[in-house]
Amino acid sequence: MNTTHPFAREEVMAFLDGEVSATDAQAISAHLEHCVECTSVAEQFRNTSQSLSRWSVSAVPAMLEQAVRDLADKTRLGVKTGKPGLFGRTSFWPRKQWAFGLGSAVATILIFGAVSTSNRKSVSQHYSVDFARVNAGQPSERVQVWSGPGGLDKLTNQPVSDQESKVFSNQILPPSPYSGKLPTGELGAAVGGGLPVNGRFGGFDKLVTQSSPGAVADSNGLFHGLGDHTQNSFTTNGQPGPMIARTVSLSVVVKDFAASRSSLNAILARHHGYSAQLNIATPENAPRSIQASLRVPATELSSALADLKTLGRVENESQSGEEVTQQHTDLVARLKISRETERRFRAILEQRTGNVVDVLQVEEGIARVRGDIERMEAEQIALEHRVDFTAVELQLNEEYKAQLNPAAPSVSIRVHNSLVAGYHNASETVLGILLFFAEYGLTLLLWLVILVLPAILVRRRYRKALATV
Amino acid sequence: MSAAKPVAMSIVMNEALENPEAEKAATADSDERLMLAFAGGSAEAFSELFSRYKQPVFGFFRRRVADPAQAEELTQETFLAVLRASLRYEPRALFRTYLYAVGFRILRAYRRKAAFRATLLGVAGAYREPAVRNATDIEVLLRQAMTKLERTDREILMLREFEQLSYAEIAELLNLPVNTVRSRLFRARAALRDLLLAPPPKALAPELAESEERV
Repeated sequence: MNTTHPFAREEVMAFLDGEVSATDAQAISAHLEHCVECTSVAEQFRNTSQSLSRWSVSAVPAMLEQAVRDLADKTRLGVKTGKPGLFGRTSFWPRKQWAFGLGSAVATILIFGAVSTSNRKSVSQHYSVDFARVNAGQPSERVQVWSGPGGLDKLTNQPVSDQESKVFSNQILPPSPYSGKLPTGELGAAVGGGLPVNGRFGGFDKLVTQSSPGAVADSNGLFHGLGDHTQNSFTTNGQPGPMIARTVSLSVVVKDFAASRSSLNAILARHHGYSAQLNIATPENAPRSIQASLRVPATELSSALADLKTLGRVENESQSGEEVTQQHTDLVARLKISRETERRFRAILEQRTGNVVDVLQVEEGIARVRGDIERMEAEQIALEHRVDFTAVELQLNEEYKAQLNPAAPSVSIRVHNSLVAGYHNASETVLGILLFFAEYGLTLLLWLVILVLPAILVRRRYRKALATV
Repeated sequence: MSAAKPVAMSIVMNEALENPEAEKAATADSDERLMLAFAGGSAEAFSELFSRYKQPVFGFFRRRVADPAQAEELTQETFLAVLRASLRYEPRALFRTYLYAVGFRILRAYRRKAAFRATLLGVAGAYREPAVRNATDIEVLLRQAMTKLERTDREILMLREFEQLSYAEIAELLNLPVNTVRSRLFRARAALRDLLLAPPPKALAPELAESEERV
């Protein structure tokens, strides 16, 4: 039957409320004239409204009326009116603002956490990047090999045969102060054991010179002629002239780096010098450099320096000399006295006989004096070496030409690299977030439960209360 | 039948008490003009507005808040808010809609606060009506029936029946589409009718289902 009605009941209701257009109103009115069913529907609506209308409200209390009129007067006169009651605040945060505030707080915590995690990540990332660069085989090698005292054999046996960009340093045993120390230690042990040591350490000089050819042989031709000039160049022995230990530091800018390196070797060979330490750095897109600590015989210093200066443009040169004559003389005198003492001890030991205690005391004295002598001899040698061999700190810098590299990375490669880096960053970020949640997720969940459960309970209670208000 | 007078239903109810100016909106002394006049400093304008709307606004709160004293407070608060905002008033909508919008804001704030207090302090929110009062049975019955309606449906029904707002005004106040207002109003009226005819409830069940279908 319903289908025969041209109007839905809702439209009848709207008609009764006067909420339909004039034409619709006419049509519905006409329909109601003859449709009993729709008329009864309309009657039902009217009855409902009728029942509601019986819910009347008492008149406004006079006190309230007066209060509002007073307020109006005050407002009109510009008097600031206070709040009439505790309730009815108009500026209460709506739910949206609460949600927004809470959301932003949570977001802040998340961001903070993510940032702190990514900070922690960035350290390891740094390492991994360096590692990656090395792996990628970029020619930015900076290898340093240091040899400690007594490490000569190890070093010289190491294969330092790479043609380019290898760095090695060396401490040549014979002239270095360490060479004296090592045997001294042994000497101490030997003396402690009461062994006769004279024969062994009488040949100290020989020991030195013997070991040096080995070093020369093994160091790829970098160290030359040491054996020769250790025999020839102790010019200061017995000389009365001033003894000066010289130090030269030289900074040269060269044009042809490769050539300058080989000529450096040639210069060293020609002047019987050697390099105590040599660092070569060949970074990419930056000037290459050699930092060398050379030892040049003092007699050849000026010519060696002149040769070195021909390598390129001298950027900086400084020379200094330390007068060690007094020190040397002192040392020689003390050495002489000690030797004399030793000689007398020996004479006592040979000529006089006594009980064992006396003999032992004399031997002890000999050992002590011998130790002093050895030390002073080593000191003397070191000192003389400093005088004989001038230390030349050479810094060779390549004159850097920012070259228009024909093999400069093309746009596509750069785009590719950027994409790879971008992917890397994105994955790092994602990983950071994952790590954050892996690290703190459980704790967060725990707190969420701790905080949310009461919140839900409170909210439920609040809803219930709101419904009853 | 009475179909010749379609708006009769609205006008019949409470006309004498609550809506004396319903037909006066378009006259020279419209609410909007009065409000502008008050903003301009005319004390009489507000006096006139107040006498027009004191009863409707009081009724608005009285029917929605159980405690009469609270209803008075909220009424006062509403007019105070209108007073304070009078300088900023712009007649973009009907003054009536504006007034009820203010009333709604204040009502919501009150409800939130009351619910909040009830939640925290465990105070029962429900106001106990005094046993002795001149309330009729129909009033108690209506109040109870109304609480059984869905919240928005109830609000729409009350705004229509008591405040006699048009569908468009209700839609604006509650931020709903007009069609939704209409269908919800229909649903609310059908539900209320069934509630008022409560015993026996099952007899009316098919009709209710039908009305739900249309919604």
